[in-house]
Amino acid sequence: MGHRSPNRSPRATPAEGATAAPAFGKLSRVGRNVVALGLTSLLTDVSSEMVTAILPLYLTFVLRFSPLQFGFFDGLYQGVTALVRIGSAVRADRRRQYKGVAALGYGTSALCKLGLLAAGTAWLPTTAILVVDRLGKGVRTAPRDALIALSSVRAHVAEAFGVHRAMDTAGALIGPLLAFAVLSTAPAAYDAVFAVSFAAGVAGLGALLLLVENRSGSAASERRPAVRLRGVIALLQIPQFRRLVFVGGLLSLVTVSDAFVYLVCQRRANLDPGVFPLLPVAVALAYLLLAIPAGRLADRIGRARVLLGGYAALAAVYALLAWPVADAPVILSSLPLLGTYYAATDGVLMALASRALPAPLLTSGLALLTTVTVLVRLVASTTFGAVWSWRGPQQAVLLFLIGLVGALSVSAVALRERR
Amino acid sequence: MRRWRALAFALLCTVCAAGAAVYVRHAARRTAVPSAGSAPPAEHPLGPADGSSLAVGEPAGQGAPALLFRSTGVDAAYGKLVLTPLDDVDARRVVSTFSCERVDYAGGRGVCLNADRGVATRYSAIIFDRRFQPVATLALGGVPSRVRVSPDGRLAAVTVFVSGHSYTGSFSTLTSVIDLERGAYLIPDLEQLAVWDGDQRLDAVDRNFWGVTFASDSDRFFATVSSGGRTHLIQGALSDHTAHTLRGDVECPSLSPDNTRVAFKRRVGEGIGPVRWRLSVLRLDTLEEVPLAEAHSIDDQAQWLDNDHVMYALPVQEGGSAETNTWVVDADGRGEPRVLVGRAYSAVRVPPIRINP
Repeated sequence: MGHRSPNRSPRATPAEGATAAPAFGKLSRVGRNVVALGLTSLLTDVSSEMVTAILPLYLTFVLRFSPLQFGFFDGLYQGVTALVRIGSAVRADRRRQYKGVAALGYGTSALCKLGLLAAGTAWLPTTAILVVDRLGKGVRTAPRDALIALSSVRAHVAEAFGVHRAMDTAGALIGPLLAFAVLSTAPAAYDAVFAVSFAAGVAGLGALLLLVENRSGSAASERRPAVRLRGVIALLQIPQFRRLVFVGGLLSLVTVSDAFVYLVCQRRANLDPGVFPLLPVAVALAYLLLAIPAGRLADRIGRARVLLGGYAALAAVYALLAWPVADAPVILSSLPLLGTYYAATDGVLMALASRALPAPLLTSGLALLTTVTVLVRLVASTTFGAVWSWRGPQQAVLLFLIGLVGALSVSAVALRERR
Repeated sequence: MRRWRALAFALLCTVCAAGAAVYVRHAARRTAVPSAGSAPPAEHPLGPADGSSLAVGEPAGQGAPALLFRSTGVDAAYGKLVLTPLDDVDARRVVSTFSCERVDYAGGRGVCLNADRGVATRYSAIIFDRRFQPVATLALGGVPSRVRVSPDGRLAAVTVFVSGHSYTGSFSTLTSVIDLERGAYLIPDLEQLAVWDGDQRLDAVDRNFWGVTFASDSDRFFATVSSGGRTHLIQGALSDHTAHTLRGDVECPSLSPDNTRVAFKRRVGEGIGPVRWRLSVLRLDTLEEVPLAEAHSIDDQAQWLDNDHVMYALPVQEGGSAETNTWVVDADGRGEPRVLVGRAYSAVRVPPIRINP
């Protein structure tokens, strides 16, 4: 398929950031399209987090699932996105229809909310719809990230991802609040939650269709290389991208899932149970506040540097969790650090990858990278759970801390050549 | 072109917001409970609604024992605590000014699990005395599921569902032990206990506890623990922070007043889909199990009315409605189940009532 150096790859014309409406103020640097994509994600996250927040209640109280069954379906949802990520990305790259494929994903998820409303208390349709909803998420992520990269000025690509992730996280914070507001107005009316979620999903899809422009690239029309799965694997021949996949996979291998972090927090700090639901909120708030500054910093001092800094923050989280003295303030200070880790890594890794990939295979490359990290993280969580059962939480955290420090050192060497 | 699109988006948002608002309003009307919507907030004391003072158990042994339960009839008393003499179950008396999702009472103290439905619903455990006056309130970490007070009224065990959030990515139960005298958590998370299955320690990360029941010494307890996809009945002692497994496939145990048997729900039918439970009784000396005469699926932690009868709640209509009746069935597997009190949930037998006008 003949990949080429990313510097000479046919890129989309830089976003018309300079001509963006003054209403966007400082955000104008990242371009109108990125803000519109952020709005799409914000509304969609409001929609999906509303359902996520009440799902356990709905499944156990209305559909009468046991917690064990719920755990099984939860695992199924997580794994299922990996199935469609690369397939949909190849499709998006082949036609350069990033917006179209993303719309398919957003539309599927929005429609699923309507399906939940119609399914009522029938459990089989409900679980099937929830799986399809997750598939929609798998379909839309890579083309959307590709559009963010294609819509932003090259020097500000990490900032663009930061803006998008901040808006996305804002939606994730609003969703649960809205869901519980609905349930407090209309007790036990889960259908009302699905109805509001559907409305938010439709608005999100509307933001994508009406406000986001597809960036098909200028050279697209004259030469459209056939995008094949083999070509996606061949992306690994690009040294810069290969290094990123290696580093992303390696660091993911020593990344503990959030659920475990909260569990360790709760056990070690002996927290009052009333505080437990607030732990994820603290992390999301830090992520929301730091996503844009972290992106800006990455554009200025180097994206690899900020990425490594983010994982250093994660190492600090582990160190605090493994701290010999189980002091509540010490343990709890790990939460804003965890938010910092997200702010400095999630969008920044995508920004790095989008700079390393040739435009014709941008979506496929991003999907390949996220598939690797998602799958490796599943392995990491299983490993962590096993070590926890075997040696206890403190030993498990300590082991992952040592692993992370090692992985960080290797990654620093691997990424050094980029600078 | 761009302006046209922005306008269309604004219009779409307006339509979506209006549609959502109309739906929620319609749902709010549909689910509205007459006058219960204006229920006063948690600052109001629990107490007889008409102002006369009322107490249970003093002086002891006078009159008929009573039942305390959560009223589920869709009327002004929806969700309130109601007392009724056992010999005249229609003589209902509302004793709370606010709602309880679940309640238990023993040894002169009670615990009401309350849901304060504000913008973000907050859940709390309200500890009250024999006059139904609150003495302390504790925040809960999730949606109330089960509560049991120890026979001496000194401790309570509370199980909540820790509700989901995509950031946690998991869903589990959290069981805590409360010191009712101090009004504070004694053991915030029962998972701190060492649980032994034979000579193997159960220490899986997915370990979950629920449905505690106390023995008459208020230290020994039984509970359900799930680990690695299996549920076990465990017996333990709070004083030495250990427990061991007794038997598999037992959920929500409830110890008989004479401490010889455990009523529980057993899962029937494997595989996916909604779970069904069969109400059964287990003899603790022989580990012999008797399914009770109730054929419906029971999702409740049963209570013993006396040594020979078990109480549980069932939805009034099949398929789940807010209204439930409290039923009673013989504990030996014979007899026919019958409705003990209509529109009642989480019922518990309490000493005779005394009213001071």
